[in-house]
Amino acid sequence: MMKGPRKDHEHHFKEQGGFEVDISMKKESIDDEFTEVPPADEMMVFLSQHIGPEAEPLVKKGDGVKYGEKIAGKEEQDHMMVPVHSPVTGTVQQIKDMPHPISGEKGRVVIIKTEESKKCPFYEPLGPASKQALLDRVREAGVVGLGGASFPTHVKLSEKGIDHLIINAKESDPNLACDVRLMIERPKEMIDGIKIMGKILGTEDITFATRTKEGETPRFEKLLKKSDINIARIRPNYSVGSERLLVKEVLDKEVPSGRFPPYVGAVVHNVATALAVSRAMEGESLVSRGLTLYSKKTGGKNLWVRMGTPIEHILRYLGASPSDFERIALGSIMMGPTVPNTSYPVLKATSGLTAFTSSERYPYKKQLACIRCGYCNTVCPVDIYPQQLMMAAKKGDVKRLKELHIEDCIDCGLCSYVCPSYIKLTPHLRRGQAHVKGDAVEDL
Amino acid sequence: MKGDQCEMSDPPHVHIGFDKNELMLKTFLLMSVIAVASVAIMGIEALIHILTALGTVLITHNVIYSYQRWKDLDPTYGSPASPLVAGMIVALAMPIGGPYEVTAGVALLTILVFKYGQGKYFERKYLNPAAASKVLLLVLLSAMVIFEDPQRTGMLFHPHHLRLDLLSSSGFEASMWIFSGETLPILGTELSPAQSLLFWQTHGWIGGASGIVVLIVGAVAAYWLRFKWRIIVSTLVTMTVLAAVTGLYLGGDPLLRIAFHVFTGSVIFLAFFMATEPQSTPMPGSSQYMFGIGLAALTFVFQLTGVLGGSVIALVILNMLTPLLDKVNLKIPYGHREKKRGAS
Ligand code: SF4
Ligand code: SF4
Repeated sequence: MMKGPRKDHEHHFKEQGGFEVDISMKKESIDDEFTEVPPADEMMVFLSQHIGPEAEPLVKKGDGVKYGEKIAGKEEQDHMMVPVHSPVTGTVQQIKDMPHPISGEKGRVVIIKTEESKKCPFYEPLGPASKQALLDRVREAGVVGLGGASFPTHVKLSEKGIDHLIINAKESDPNLACDVRLMIERPKEMIDGIKIMGKILGTEDITFATRTKEGETPRFEKLLKKSDINIARIRPNYSVGSERLLVKEVLDKEVPSGRFPPYVGAVVHNVATALAVSRAMEGESLVSRGLTLYSKKTGGKNLWVRMGTPIEHILRYLGASPSDFERIALGSIMMGPTVPNTSYPVLKATSGLTAFTSSERYPYKKQLACIRCGYCNTVCPVDIYPQQLMMAAKKGDVKRLKELHIEDCIDCGLCSYVCPSYIKLTPHLRRGQAHVKGDAVEDL
Repeated sequence: MKGDQCEMSDPPHVHIGFDKNELMLKTFLLMSVIAVASVAIMGIEALIHILTALGTVLITHNVIYSYQRWKDLDPTYGSPASPLVAGMIVALAMPIGGPYEVTAGVALLTILVFKYGQGKYFERKYLNPAAASKVLLLVLLSAMVIFEDPQRTGMLFHPHHLRLDLLSSSGFEASMWIFSGETLPILGTELSPAQSLLFWQTHGWIGGASGIVVLIVGAVAAYWLRFKWRIIVSTLVTMTVLAAVTGLYLGGDPLLRIAFHVFTGSVIFLAFFMATEPQSTPMPGSSQYMFGIGLAALTFVFQLTGVLGGSVIALVILNMLTPLLDKVNLKIPYGHREKKRGAS
């Protein structure tokens, strides 16, 4: 019987400077087959679920809506706008403003009363089609990056001069395993999606970047080989989940500061996004996704959930009570905002839910004084100096923040993770970025 | 592991295996191994010095801690681990021949002025507390004419050290009488000066009684507790090179020179346990190398001029340069390297 995760290299990621990130939770989740969570009686659909302007509502109170029907987003609105669809067949009960769980700013929510949970694709399947038609379908189906950033997929697929498509199957978060699970359960659809992405971008140079070992997802790997897609087995660590660092790892090209991968001829898409693209071709709008819910109470659970499902509904479905948990983060244990309460819903960007029981000590509650040990500097994957940045941010010293390249922080949270004084550095770093941009700086 | 079975004692998001207080406690325990070796070699006087320093810091810490609790203030040190480390460093950095009251004085200054005071008024420690206290108190004592033999009391500019001629071959070899005549107990083996410096020194810094013990324990600590290892490596390598080059050019057996310059307590103990004190040393890796090189070079100059415990003065000087060293040699972040390469 294994005593602790640190004894076995299978149970940790090794980061820069030799620091370890415990991934025993991921190992627990990988074996859990997807369970479909039925919709709640009332679904809460935020109209801002991607990077870009909020979608304009196309429905009003009392309207009947069908599963997968577009409820927000006029095409002419903005190139970055992505439509939002109804996750159920039902009636619009209300459109109201609520604080957005990620930005904290006010956002519009459509509340839909569920009348039927049946799932029948709203759109017709798309047969052989032109690049433009494929691209239009991706947008119309509301597809965004499902790795957590929720960048509009059609925008990334519209890039010109792309030589490499990299599929990010790194899933570096230490307690999430839904992507690997999808590779095990739905390999064909995913690979179809990857091929469609390659076709739209006009590149045949596709690399599938994964930290899984040979033989871990055999069906998937066989199909990859058959489809002539390269497999890059990358370092099993947490930080290289960032797409800029992934480009360096796979192509040995550095994306300059302030630029994105297309600058070096590459586009990175998350593996779950490929599945969403493939489903869009079958007529399915993006109204559900796979995610991992992790808590000590429930263990690691891979769930298929419709967007708009309140978190408390998911917890109850799993036999837990919302009151069992003190804090729930949208995302993994490393990053992701804490939701104000469990009535908040799952969004397109929700790749994971991490629920903490009250018996779990929140490490950043009682922060000790910084001892300048420098562990945070050593582990930082982009080689900036979090401790010095924190000090400059506290003083609002914009000159120093710029000298230390605050803009390059990828908000990975590794610096906080290794800090022996339990200092949560990321809020200071975000404040530093706000200082440099001249934005309002929130109190801590 | 599902459901109730997966209740674990550690929260899932902690951490690197130890927090600040545990780091201090582990450092203290490792230094205790050195302390035991020192007492075994130097005898009961070493134990009295150690207990004096630890007792002084513990009493002072407890008084301040109780006051802070009484006033409903957040205690500066919630655990005595950090003050204990400071006390142990003071003890192990004192010369065995020094008066006990000087040890108590240095310990009191360390905890009161340079640990609590410095932290409170400057938000961080710019100077290594033990080194700064020792320099301050010993310079004062050495300069005090009221004592019959101020230099002997101060133990910083020891009179007979000042008369050593380490620059010539004959002078250096003649000076090594200090380390001759040691015999390993039980085995009865007589040690050469070089062997004595490595294994068994009965005078000099308490923490340096056995260079080899410090080397082993220090290496374990540096690896396990992630000390700023670049400082240790650059200090010891620079010292070795300077000693060897001096031996080759000025005479004196280079190996004996290396043993003398590297394995005196003020170098080997200081390199591992004082020069790596995180708050007063630089963050960027290359600056840590510069810090170590500067520390070794200055210490070497002090040694050659007969100030054998001058490493603490060198350390305080380098501590003062740390804010500057923090601003240079920064790593080039990801996203700026290609640009830099293109430019060069
Ligand atoms: S890891 Fe924490 S204690 Fe260490 S330098 Fe960074 S912020 Fe300070
Ligand atoms: S959050 Fe930013 S500063 Fe901290 S380790 Fe990650 S990239 Fe570096």
